[in-house]
Amino acid sequence: MTEEPPGKYWRDDGILHIDVRGLGPPEPMVAILFHIEKPEEVGPVIVHHFCEPIYFYPELTEMGWSYEIIPGEPEEVRLILRQKT
Amino acid sequence: MSMLMLSGAKDRLLPSSIPFRFFASASVFHILFWIALLMGADDLATFNGGTGWVLAAIHLATLGTFAMTAMGAAFQLLPIATRQPLVHNWPTYLTFWLFMPGTLILTFGMATTSMAALTVGGIATSSGLLGFALLTADNLRRASSLPLVTAHGWIAMISVLALTVLALLLIFDLDTGFLPDHRAAAATHMSFAAFGFMGVLVFGFSYVLIPMFALSRALPPRIGWMGLVFSALALAFATPALLLEITILQFAALLCAHISAAAYLWQMRTAFKTRMRKRLGPAFIVIRASWALLAISLLVALATLLGAPIPNGATLFGFLLLAGWLLTFLLGVLQRIMPFLASMHANPKDGRTPLLSELTAQRPLDIHMFCHGAALVLVATGIVTDITLLIATGAAIGLIGAIAFATFAALVIRKL
Repeated sequence: MTEEPPGKYWRDDGILHIDVRGLGPPEPMVAILFHIEKPEEVGPVIVHHFCEPIYFYPELTEMGWSYEIIPGEPEEVRLILRQKT
Repeated sequence: MSMLMLSGAKDRLLPSSIPFRFFASASVFHILFWIALLMGADDLATFNGGTGWVLAAIHLATLGTFAMTAMGAAFQLLPIATRQPLVHNWPTYLTFWLFMPGTLILTFGMATTSMAALTVGGIATSSGLLGFALLTADNLRRASSLPLVTAHGWIAMISVLALTVLALLLIFDLDTGFLPDHRAAAATHMSFAAFGFMGVLVFGFSYVLIPMFALSRALPPRIGWMGLVFSALALAFATPALLLEITILQFAALLCAHISAAAYLWQMRTAFKTRMRKRLGPAFIVIRASWALLAISLLVALATLLGAPIPNGATLFGFLLLAGWLLTFLLGVLQRIMPFLASMHANPKDGRTPLLSELTAQRPLDIHMFCHGAALVLVATGIVTDITLLIATGAAIGLIGAIAFATFAALVIRKL
């Protein structure tokens, strides 16, 4: 898929942020995978989500990424994704 | 902190015993379906309604495997998709304990023409189905997201109500004969069950599940809505068409079903074209085969209605629709979804979340895929040629495949 991914993304201090709030299923998952599947993306990656993406966890684990919820804004679930060594 | 948060995530899931009891039962009923078909092999090609092994086989598939899978999937996936949790868990247990034994008793009654078993099983099964419909309707009522999926859910639940009322009338009619046309009522019951309930539910769930598994972009809703309108029209035309045997309305209903299926298949094609995951795995071979069989079944129905010389065309249509499309699709989805849910539920002693690939036993699935395909071809050929040996051989091979599938299910459940 070569087109632009859904959602917003930016870099802050070299860390990729992906904001998938407001997207309908399965676009949050597509947006995150679009970025982390790139070989040059080694993480960590911060995801701004509207809910905890529990259906995404098996996929992340399979791809060799770990996840952790970190404090975020109200009404936001913020995750930090790290590539497992 | 993160561990607390993660345990919170687990809490949003239902206890694994809820969805997996439905999926395990569906796997067992799948075995019973092929056994019943084997027993009724001699009657299948010319099946024209009435009690016996063929009727039992149909209901072991539709209730035992299709509805059972739909219940397990809906109870687990719908609350998360709509972000509206179930109010209580206990009604799901009650639904299961009415529906599972009810289906066993009902199908036993069908096979042996036992009015007592038909009555008890019919009431228990209907109560379980209505319980499921009420729980689902309550969730759909509170849902504010996914309007297209929710609308499909509503049509499916209205169909559950219609098929259940007709089912009870059909059972009591066996004893009293009060219905003016038992066969017409049975055909209407089947149209609500196969197309209105399971078909529409499969369409609706596919709009979320298939893009999720294939990692596709969200599907354009306009075609999905068009498909749903034609599904509803197909049911609206089919009811008087079948009850009153009005040929022109039968054509209208079938035409609407064709358009609805075409819209669905177009959406699935879009999901495939926009997918990120290039290697979809063996489950998608099964799922894609089911889509081909959906199209073939509808073409067989049209050809039969137009008077094409297809021997036992109506039976062939029923077999391709139920075993070809719905059974194949649901087994494809089950083999994808069971390891997925197991991974979320798994609580390993070493603290390491198992990989999806570790939870999938591919060998039994390969055996199942081969046997299922061979069984479909043999039984369909047996129906057209009216050769019992072909049907029996197909059912026996299907049975081997079903046992392999149940082995896969058992291996997944063992890792929970």
